[in-house]
Amino acid sequence: MGDIMQPAIQFEDVVKIYPLKSGDVTALNHISFEVQRGEFISIMGPSGSGKSTLLTLMGCLDKPTSGNISMSGVPIRDMSDMELTSLRRDRIGFIFQYFNLFPLLNIIENVSFPQMLKSGVNEARAREVLRAVQLDEKLYTHTPMELSGGQQQRVAVARALINDPDILLCDEPTGNLDSKTGASIMELMTELNKNGATIIVVTHDPNVANYTNRTIRIVDGCIAS
Amino acid sequence: MIFWEIAKRNLRIHMLRSTLAMLGIVIGVVAIASMGILGNSMVATVSESLSSVGDSVIVSPYSGGGGGMGPGGGGGGVSSVNLKLSDQQYQQIKRAVAPNVAIPVLSTSERMKVGVGSDDIVATIYGVDPQYIPDLNLKLTAGDYNNANSGCLVGSTFAKDNNIKVGSRISIGSDGEKGTLRVTGIIEERGMAFDLSTDSAIVATQEWFDNTYNRNDYDQVVVKVKEGQDTAVVKTTIEKQMNKRDKIVSVTDSKATLASIYETFGTITTFVSAIGGISMVVAGVSIFNIMMMSVSERIKEIGIMRSIGTQKKEVMSMFIYEAAIIGVIGSVVGGILSILAGYVISALMLGTTKYLLTTANALSVGEGIGFGIVICLACGIYPAWQAANLNPIDALRHE
Repeated sequence: MGDIMQPAIQFEDVVKIYPLKSGDVTALNHISFEVQRGEFISIMGPSGSGKSTLLTLMGCLDKPTSGNISMSGVPIRDMSDMELTSLRRDRIGFIFQYFNLFPLLNIIENVSFPQMLKSGVNEARAREVLRAVQLDEKLYTHTPMELSGGQQQRVAVARALINDPDILLCDEPTGNLDSKTGASIMELMTELNKNGATIIVVTHDPNVANYTNRTIRIVDGCIAS
Repeated sequence: MIFWEIAKRNLRIHMLRSTLAMLGIVIGVVAIASMGILGNSMVATVSESLSSVGDSVIVSPYSGGGGGMGPGGGGGGVSSVNLKLSDQQYQQIKRAVAPNVAIPVLSTSERMKVGVGSDDIVATIYGVDPQYIPDLNLKLTAGDYNNANSGCLVGSTFAKDNNIKVGSRISIGSDGEKGTLRVTGIIEERGMAFDLSTDSAIVATQEWFDNTYNRNDYDQVVVKVKEGQDTAVVKTTIEKQMNKRDKIVSVTDSKATLASIYETFGTITTFVSAIGGISMVVAGVSIFNIMMMSVSERIKEIGIMRSIGTQKKEVMSMFIYEAAIIGVIGSVVGGILSILAGYVISALMLGTTKYLLTTANALSVGEGIGFGIVICLACGIYPAWQAANLNPIDALRHE
């Protein structure tokens, strides 16, 4: 599925309107852009500008009101919920501000989770990505609550990488970390990008944006620059 | 099976809540299954008591209206005063049911004394021709069948209550005015019976009975239906023969009566089990509540799962597994406890536990377990469906 020559993400004249009782709210207003494979992009903007809506659309968690979104050349408009879910599982890696690991599972199980959904357990692969995010091997059988914030975010990155996705979507990945730990996570992202990963970071921290190659600024649902 | 593992671990970390939910199911299964066991044991007890007369047809004088004929008259009628069957009527019945055996039976209630210095007691005395004793299936625990005119058999309860042994003598009538009977044998306990309820009675010879009470008629005729013949057909034959013009005799088909008794017991068992089912419904509501709590506590987790590629059906399966684990463990524990409860209830109410390990009781326990599991799954479906259909974006934002 998808064409490797196509952009990782393509937005064409995308509009997203939330119908509310008090009146429709236009979150994204005729947005068009492309993210090429291997790019490291930050999306910035003030609160309420439409960053989160953009992230949910890029993450195939929602569909646009109008316009087209394509993932690796495949339009998502007519996809069923099951197809979109499979797309998220196979081609998108999510990294959240609050890590969002599963407290009932240990580190290896957390990292393996998306893999189990796809093809069953391959613990060697889980260990490989955990080594790639430089997590101490002694922690692999611990639960998330026994890890520091930085360690949890490394596990979250490993979980996002396990199915070898086309893109990594990061929502304020350093927002819940101290500056030193946040910097180490961004250095890890940079390293992953150098190895070919396509990464999109939604942030309002200019220091985070400095790690990226390109910044898309959103203001009132439109791309400002 | 990561979702199975998550379901197990979630139940484990909420051990108290999970245990309470299981307890509800345990109580429900015990209520249903133990009531079923009690009902089945009651049926088995009655069945055993009545099995020896399961192939009998009992003919008695009709007491509902009366033919208006004199007592013991040649016309063979009955009256409301003297409800007896004449010898002629007996012969008619005997001919009608041949080759089945028709046994004439006399009976009376009489005052008697057992042993010197003892108080008078009142008991039933049956008069039966000794040749028919084997046909009546009267088994002895001691002594021999009576052939002598002054001999008799006594029921096990009568013998036990009055400390009677083979060879004991019983003075019949006030001050022994009707003579003395010597005990030649003790009849095995028979329980309830349609024909002769011998446990607390004396069975004397017909000859002694005729001579003592100056009788030439009968109180009832017991027809022992041979194997392979239908009691209902025999009943109809007798009714056609005897009740041509007026209703002279009442005919009871013991098999039909047994079937009616079993049906009544079955209805009672179903009713009592249904009352037990109410506790199961309450347990189901509790499971539903706990599952809804589980869903509402894990909305964020569901959002994360959905966002990283978990299908709706996989989310649903996780909650169904939780309900299934509660249901299976609770129901199996309930099933085991219901056997114990059935043992205690049977011992207390029926005085015996020998009918506990039967196919019917195994079915009752199986039904209780099955019902418990089905209730749990049914009560888990809606919460699971709700979890699976949460909007991933809203779920992710949930705090």
